[in-house]
Amino acid sequence: MRRLVAVGIGGVLLLASCGGTAAPSANPATATVAAPKPDIKIGLATAKSGAANFYNPQQSNGALLAVEQINAAGGIAGAKLQLIVEDDGSVRDQGITAFKKFIEQDKVAAILGPTLSAVAAGAHPVAQAAGIPVIAISNTGLGIVGKCDYGPCDWIFRASLGEQSAVPETVKAATQKLGLKKVVIIYGDGKFELDDLTIFKDAFKANGVTVTKEIAYTAKDVDFAPFVTQAKGENPDAIVASSLAGPAGKILDEVAKQMPGKRVIGGNGLNSAALLSNANAGLMVVGTAWSKASTDKTNTDFVAAYKTRFGVDPDQFAAQSYTAMTVLADALKRSGSATDHAAVKKALEGVSSLATPLGAFSFTADHDVKQPTFVMTVKDGQFTPFQ
Amino acid sequence: MDAVSDFLRTYSTTIAVIGVSALLALSVWLTLYAGQLTLGNAAFMGVGAYVSALLGRHLDTPFPVALLIGSVAAAALALPLGSIVFRLRGVYLAIATLAFGEIVRVVLLATPITGRGQGLNGIPPKTELWHIYLSVLVVAYVLWRVQGSTIGRAWAAIREDEIASASQGIAVGRHKLAAFVIGALIAGWAGGLSAHVTFSIDPSDFGFTKAVQVLVFAVVGGTPNVLGPILGAGLLTALPELLRPLKDYRDIFQGAILLLVIIYLPRGLVTFVDVRRTRRLSRIGALDVA
Amino acid sequence: MAEQLYNAVFIGSIYALFALGFALVFSVLDILNLAHPTVFMLGAFIALFVIGTLGLPWFVALPIAVLVTGLFGIALDRVAFAPLRRRGAPALSSMISSLAVTLIVVRLVELRYGGDFITFPAGSVPAFVFRVGDATFEGIRLAIVVLSVVLMLILTYVLRRTQLGRDLRALAENPRAARLLGVDVDRAIAATFFVSSALGGLAGVLLAFAYNTLDSRMGVPLELRAFTVMVVGGMGSLPGAVIGAYVLGLGEVASLVYLPTELRDAFAFGLLFLVLVLRPTGLLGQKSPDRV
Repeated sequence: MRRLVAVGIGGVLLLASCGGTAAPSANPATATVAAPKPDIKIGLATAKSGAANFYNPQQSNGALLAVEQINAAGGIAGAKLQLIVEDDGSVRDQGITAFKKFIEQDKVAAILGPTLSAVAAGAHPVAQAAGIPVIAISNTGLGIVGKCDYGPCDWIFRASLGEQSAVPETVKAATQKLGLKKVVIIYGDGKFELDDLTIFKDAFKANGVTVTKEIAYTAKDVDFAPFVTQAKGENPDAIVASSLAGPAGKILDEVAKQMPGKRVIGGNGLNSAALLSNANAGLMVVGTAWSKASTDKTNTDFVAAYKTRFGVDPDQFAAQSYTAMTVLADALKRSGSATDHAAVKKALEGVSSLATPLGAFSFTADHDVKQPTFVMTVKDGQFTPFQ
Repeated sequence: MDAVSDFLRTYSTTIAVIGVSALLALSVWLTLYAGQLTLGNAAFMGVGAYVSALLGRHLDTPFPVALLIGSVAAAALALPLGSIVFRLRGVYLAIATLAFGEIVRVVLLATPITGRGQGLNGIPPKTELWHIYLSVLVVAYVLWRVQGSTIGRAWAAIREDEIASASQGIAVGRHKLAAFVIGALIAGWAGGLSAHVTFSIDPSDFGFTKAVQVLVFAVVGGTPNVLGPILGAGLLTALPELLRPLKDYRDIFQGAILLLVIIYLPRGLVTFVDVRRTRRLSRIGALDVA
Repeated sequence: MAEQLYNAVFIGSIYALFALGFALVFSVLDILNLAHPTVFMLGAFIALFVIGTLGLPWFVALPIAVLVTGLFGIALDRVAFAPLRRRGAPALSSMISSLAVTLIVVRLVELRYGGDFITFPAGSVPAFVFRVGDATFEGIRLAIVVLSVVLMLILTYVLRRTQLGRDLRALAENPRAARLLGVDVDRAIAATFFVSSALGGLAGVLLAFAYNTLDSRMGVPLELRAFTVMVVGGMGSLPGAVIGAYVLGLGEVASLVYLPTELRDAFAFGLLFLVLVLRPTGLLGQKSPDRV
C-alpha cells in the first residue's frame, strides 16, 4: 500500500514533468533547405519565489535579453540559444532539483545560477559531479569557486564579484577618504552576513583600522535603534553594516538620527535598487560590481536595450546575468561544440578581456571574475562614484 | 525505461525529501496520536543532522553509526525536555517546545563547530533513496503495530480523557514522554538522512517554519493512522514540483489546495483515501484526534 | 542608558500593538490566527496603494487601511475559519487554513509590488520630528507608544463594560451556552475578527510609516514574538499581553547591552520557556487560564 502510494506520487510527478517541459520540436521533416541546427539549451535557476524572490524579474530578464540579442545576431554558429528558466524557490532542495532537471532532462550545455549562496551550496556539487559548466551570477560569499567545502569545484565559474574582492577595495577607499581609525560592525546572522563579517574584519586589519565592537542582530529583529545606540557608545569613525538591504535601510536611518555626520560602510547587501529611495542612502559607501553610470559603450548599449525591452532600468543583478550569458556565448562560439562540456569549460577558461557591461571581463585561475570594483555612494537617488 | 530512469535521476532529491518529510510527519504523529501538540521535532531533526554530519566529518564515523548516534542524541535531549514540558498542555505545550526549538537554533548559530550561520557545507551525499524509504517502511510498520498494542490504546485513551486514563491506572506522564522521545528518535534519524542528501545544512533549515511545516504534513494527512502523515508529507512536499508549470502562481495554487483540503477534509487526507477504515475507527471513537 | 530605555519602550510598544489583535482572537475564539502577520502586512500595503496609486494623503490612507483590513478579517473568518467551525473540525485545522490564506495573500501582494522592500513616495509620510532638550522625538513613534496602551485600555473597557464585551466573554467561555443565552454568536465572531484585524492593519500602517519601509514578509518576525508576549503576559489577558510586550522589549535591549550579542536571541526564548515551566499562567493570568 505504502509503496503503491509512493509510486502513485512518482507517477503524478512524472506526468507533471512531461507537461512542464514540452520539448521543443525541431521538426526536421519540414526543413527543405538545410536541417536547422538544434537549439543550444542553457538552464537558469533563479529565485522567483521564496525569501529571495526580489532578485527577479531582473535576474532572469538580464539573461533573457542577452539570449535574444545573440539569437538576433545569428546565434552560435547558426544554432539558436534557448533559455530555460526554473524557479529555485530560494530553498536548497528545489535548487538541486532544478539543476538535476537541466542536466538529466533538458541536457543543457551550461547552467547559470542559483540566486542564493546557501542554495548554491547544494546545487553546485550536482553540476560538479555531472561535469556541466556553471556560471554563478549572484553568489558573492566564500567557498563558491576556488576552494570549496565539497571538494574540487573546477566546473563552477563566477561572474558575480565576490565580497573578498569588493570589500577590501571599499575598505581601502573609505579608510583613505574618511580617515578611519576605529569602526563598529553591525552584522546579521545569515550566511551572507557572516561571510561579509569575516571579510570586513580582515580588510580593516590590513588597513590598520581597529574594529572596536561587533554587534550581532538576528533575521527576526524589527527595530535597529538599540544596535546603533550601542555602537555609538564606542564613538567610532564609521559604522559597518554587514547586512542585507532591508536591515541596512533601518541602520542608515538610525545612524543619520543618532550619529549625524557618520557614514555607513557596507557590502554587496547594500547594493540594492530598493535602498535608493531611502532618504539617508547618501550615507553609504559600498563596493559594487557594476555602475549604471559607467559610460563604457557596451554598458550604455546594455542599459538602453534593457530599458527598451522591459520598460525599467536594469540593476546589478540584471547586468550580471546579462554578462554571464554574454561570456557563455563567447565561450560557446570558441568551443566548437556546445555538447562537449569539457570544450565549453576550456573555452570559458579562455575568456579574455571580453567587453561586457561590467567592464573588461576575464576569469582568474580559480574561475572567479576578474573585473574592476566600483566604490559607490548614493546621490539624488542614483548610485554615483564615492569621492 | 529510459524515461523512468531519467525521471528518477532528475527527481531523486524531491523523492528523497518526500521520504524525509514522511519520517518527520510520522515523528510528530506519535505525540499527536497521544493528543499532545508538540513543535520540537524540527529541532530534533537539526540535532540529528548536525551530530551525524559532524561525526562523519571529524571522526570518520561510518554513516549508519553516525546516523544512529545523531538520532540517539536527539532522543537524549528529548528525555529531560519532555519531563519538564509535559506538565503543560495544548497551546502552552506547543509554545514551550517551539521555544526549545528556537533555543537550539540560537545555540547552533553561536557555536563555532557547527559553522554558526554559515552552516556545514560539503556534506558527502551518502544517503541513498532506499535508505530513506526502508526507514519509512520500518517506522510506519512499527508504529502501526504499536498503535494496535497496549501502548497505542493507552495513547488513544490519554488523548480522549487524561484524567479518566489516569484513574484507570495508565501512567499518563510516562506514556506521553515515550511518544515524545520516540518521536525525537525518528526526527533525529530523518535529520541525519536529510543532511546527507542536500550537501549542506544551516540553522535556518530547522527553525519555526520547519516545525510548523512538519505539523502541517501530519494534520493535512490525518492522524487516525500512520498512513495519514505519509500521505500528507508526500502530497505537500511534491506539490511545489507538481505546480512548477504554474510558475509565478505556484504559491497561490498551493495555498488554495491546502485550504480546500483542510476545509473539506478537516480530519485529513486519509479520511478520503481510506474511508472504510475511518468509518470503523469513528465507530470505536478514535477519530477526534488533536 | 536613557536612550536605550526609550528604544526598549518603543520596541515593546510595537510588540504590544501587534500582539493585541492576535491575543483578542485567541482569547475569544481559541484560534491561533497564523494569518495575523499577513493582515499586518496587508494594512501597510493598502496604505501604500491609497497614497501611491490613488494619490491621497496619509491621514486618509490610515483609516481606509484600518477599515479594509477589518473587513478582510471578517472575510478571512468566512473563508478560513467559519467552514471549519461548522464542520466541528479539530482546533489544529484552523492553524492550517490560516497558513494557506497567508500563502495566497503574500503571493498576490508580491505579484503586484514585488518581493523586495519598498518605501512610500517621497514626502508622503509624516515625520513630526520635535526636540526636547537634545533628544529627538518622532511623532509617529510616540503615537505607537501611546496607542499600544490606549487601545489596550479601550479594548479592556469594551470587554468588561459593554454588551458586546459581555457577549464576547460569554462566547469565550462556551459558544453553545452563549447561543442559548441569546447572544448573536455570528455577529460577535464577526466583531472579534473585525477589531482584531483592524488592529493588526493599524499596527502595520504605523510601523510602515515609522520606518518608511514595507515588504511582503514584514509581519513574519513578529509572529513568534506575539506568542511569547501572550504567554509571558498570560494567555487571554489583554493587559497581560501589553505588559508581556514591554517585558520582552526591555529584556531584549538589556541583553543586547549586557550579554554577548550572539546569545541575545536566546533571551526571548529562554524567558518564554522559563515562564511556561515556572508559571504557565503568565504574569497576569489566573489559576485556570481565564479568558478575556
